[in-house]
Amino acid sequence: MGVNQPPSLAASHRGGATVEFQHVTKRYGPESAGPGAVNDLSLLVPAGRICVLVGPSGCGKTTSLKMVNRLIEPTGGRILIDGVDVAAEEPTALRRRIGYVIQQVGLFPHQTIGENVATVPRLLGWSPARQRERTDELLALVGLEPGVHRDRYPNQLSGGERQRVGVARALAADPPVMLMDEPFGAVDPIVRERLQNEFLRLQDGLAKTILFVTHDIDEAIKMGDLVAVMQTGGTLAQFGPPAEILASPSSDFVARFVGADRGLKRLSLTRVRDVPLTPALTARPGDDAAEARRGAAAEASRYLLLVDADTRPIGWLDPAGLPATGALEASMAVPMSPLLEPETTLKDALSMLLDADVQAGIAVDAQGRVLGLLTVDMIAALLTRR
Amino acid sequence: MDALAAVLAWFSDPGTWTGPSGIAVRLVEHVGISVAAMLLACLIALPVGLGFGHTGRGGAVAIGVANIGRAVPSYALLLILFPVFGLGFATALPALVLLAIPPILTNSYVAVRDVEAELVEAGRGMGLGERQILVRVELPIALPVVIAGVRTAAVQVVATATLAALVAGGGLGRFIVDGFALQDDGTLVGGAILVALLAVAVERGFALVERRAVSPGLRDRPRRELEVGRQPTAWPSAGA
Amino acid sequence: MSGWDWIASHLDDIAAATRDHVVLTVIAVGVGLVISLALALLIHRDRRVYAPVTAVAGLLYTIPSLALFAILVPVTGLSVLTAEIGLVSYTLLILVRNIVAGLDAVPPEAREAAAGMGYSALGRLLRVELPLALPVIVAGLRIATVTTIGLVMVTALIGEGGLGQLMLRGFTLQNYTAVYVGTAISIGLAVVADLLLLGALRLATPWRRALER
Repeated sequence: MGVNQPPSLAASHRGGATVEFQHVTKRYGPESAGPGAVNDLSLLVPAGRICVLVGPSGCGKTTSLKMVNRLIEPTGGRILIDGVDVAAEEPTALRRRIGYVIQQVGLFPHQTIGENVATVPRLLGWSPARQRERTDELLALVGLEPGVHRDRYPNQLSGGERQRVGVARALAADPPVMLMDEPFGAVDPIVRERLQNEFLRLQDGLAKTILFVTHDIDEAIKMGDLVAVMQTGGTLAQFGPPAEILASPSSDFVARFVGADRGLKRLSLTRVRDVPLTPALTARPGDDAAEARRGAAAEASRYLLLVDADTRPIGWLDPAGLPATGALEASMAVPMSPLLEPETTLKDALSMLLDADVQAGIAVDAQGRVLGLLTVDMIAALLTRR
Repeated sequence: MDALAAVLAWFSDPGTWTGPSGIAVRLVEHVGISVAAMLLACLIALPVGLGFGHTGRGGAVAIGVANIGRAVPSYALLLILFPVFGLGFATALPALVLLAIPPILTNSYVAVRDVEAELVEAGRGMGLGERQILVRVELPIALPVVIAGVRTAAVQVVATATLAALVAGGGLGRFIVDGFALQDDGTLVGGAILVALLAVAVERGFALVERRAVSPGLRDRPRRELEVGRQPTAWPSAGA
Repeated sequence: MSGWDWIASHLDDIAAATRDHVVLTVIAVGVGLVISLALALLIHRDRRVYAPVTAVAGLLYTIPSLALFAILVPVTGLSVLTAEIGLVSYTLLILVRNIVAGLDAVPPEAREAAAGMGYSALGRLLRVELPLALPVIVAGLRIATVTTIGLVMVTALIGEGGLGQLMLRGFTLQNYTAVYVGTAISIGLAVVADLLLLGALRLATPWRRALER
């Protein structure tokens, strides 16, 4: 997360552990009282994948999650991590091997950010020097400058920053498995989207096995390699990759839960980085205006994109409106288009373009440099092609 | 245990109960001065506390009174005031009144301040005058905590009236003092038991009134009992 | 002899009385804190214990101090022990209530995160719950300490030292200077103790200071 590439993660081992639910049931009260909170849940999450548990309130998704680190004990069935039953290990020791992130984050208000992040390493007995090194590494990883944030207190951070610290804290002891319960639910939609994108980028480098709970089907489709749709009564309705859930829902419930806009939702499966972009015709401030006009005419392009020395977009120029002589200046450009990050889904991109009432968005890389253009027409074409 | 036997003997002796220094007389003295002190203290402290609470001004005074009230030991107050007012049980009255004022004042102030602002505003919006708001809106909601303050003051007065016996005789405390002086365990412990019973009876009695004073609609309303920060809080009371 | 002369010639007595007073207070609050902490942790584990514990503590709190001491005297005699038993009893209600309330006020998500990350129950208590409960606990300590300072005076009546003794002797000899001096010092002690505890709280809770910044 952040402007720079994540530092070398040689210290972290890539890849996670497999997590398997075998006929897991949780019920409160006697059998006669009706269905339990979770009923006969069986699924296998391969190592290094994100599995999202999604469903309406009361479907047992959070209960299922908490049975993995034994905050709740199953009434029946077992849960295996890398083939070993979690019940075989002492709960406290087990939890120190599993990362845990909750919606309200739960940072300890009385400890500094640094102390918070180092919680599990300290419990595991790491040396102070190693704790400090790891803390700084993780803070940088989640986009928080260690020197600035390490000694601050949670109440001095914004909601988004606290969420990042929560993720860093869960990663501290480099667990192969992470449990996340609505981790981005408590922030506003703009911050949430950034956090989601950055987390996905992080996961690319770490490839941990992640169980992610959400009630938001859009988040499930965006974040998950595998999606487990659960229904009220604690049963698994469907389990499979997001494309499959959207293309072939296995029941009325799943179809309804996914929503009538399934088609549009499929757009959210593809990201800006996955589609071929139209190259943008660019010019820089200081270029000769007449030459720029000629270049645009040659390409039969009605617009010209003004970029700075680092190829970052400044705005659009209308070649027809350029002066006959002189150099191009930044003030001539109109910044109308939204900037699209590589992780942005096509669905969000389409939404942004429609909101801005423009035909084209500018795709940029992590440093903000122009990669190409994406138009509404291109997106619509992708939609109809399936 | 000799003490136990002595106490039982003391209580079963009819002479203990009657006569000019019997339980009956002492009890009347004790209760009498306590009631008098409470009435005077309420007369002074209730209007002030409720009034300040309603207007919101005088918070500093409320805090000051609360702090001083906690820091000044009742015993010291007795010793100081006696020479001023002369010896004699009745002259414990000013000291008792002064001691009873802080809990009543502070609790009334806090109780009224704690009434949610929107309720007061709604009242004003409906056309209720200031006094009507105080009486019809704030007071019923504030009542439990106000009574808790009166209750705390009452227990404190009963306790200090006991101490007054040390300085000038009279009241149930007299038994304790005499028992001590005469090394008579029966009188000593017997008197102590009577005092304890009176205090507990007063406390429980007020607790009952407090419960009755709460409208059923307010049962679940949380009370700000504990002090954090700079605001004055209600006096800590037993068995809230 | 005038008031000031009396003070000048009795400085040793005054100092001794003050020292005794402080010692009695510190022991009472210290022991009270330990007992209250134990009780509060029991309550934290099993809520049903709350009602009986506060009922007993409340009863002890209601019984006037003199009566309590008087009842104890035949059993434990005229001693520091009698005084301390009485003084400790008075602190229990306030301290138990405040410790429990403080623990209750710990944000549930901090507790859940601590459990989920692998803190043992004891570790959670020591490193997360108690530190966060400190402000409310110290508030209770302040009230308990100030109250105890006042109550120590009453122990003069069972022969214990402290400023009460100084005042009582002075009173019986119609020496009111002693009474005023005792009162003034006692109030002074209360104020100092209150400020010290407040200062200690600020030192122990740097994260609250951060909030003010």
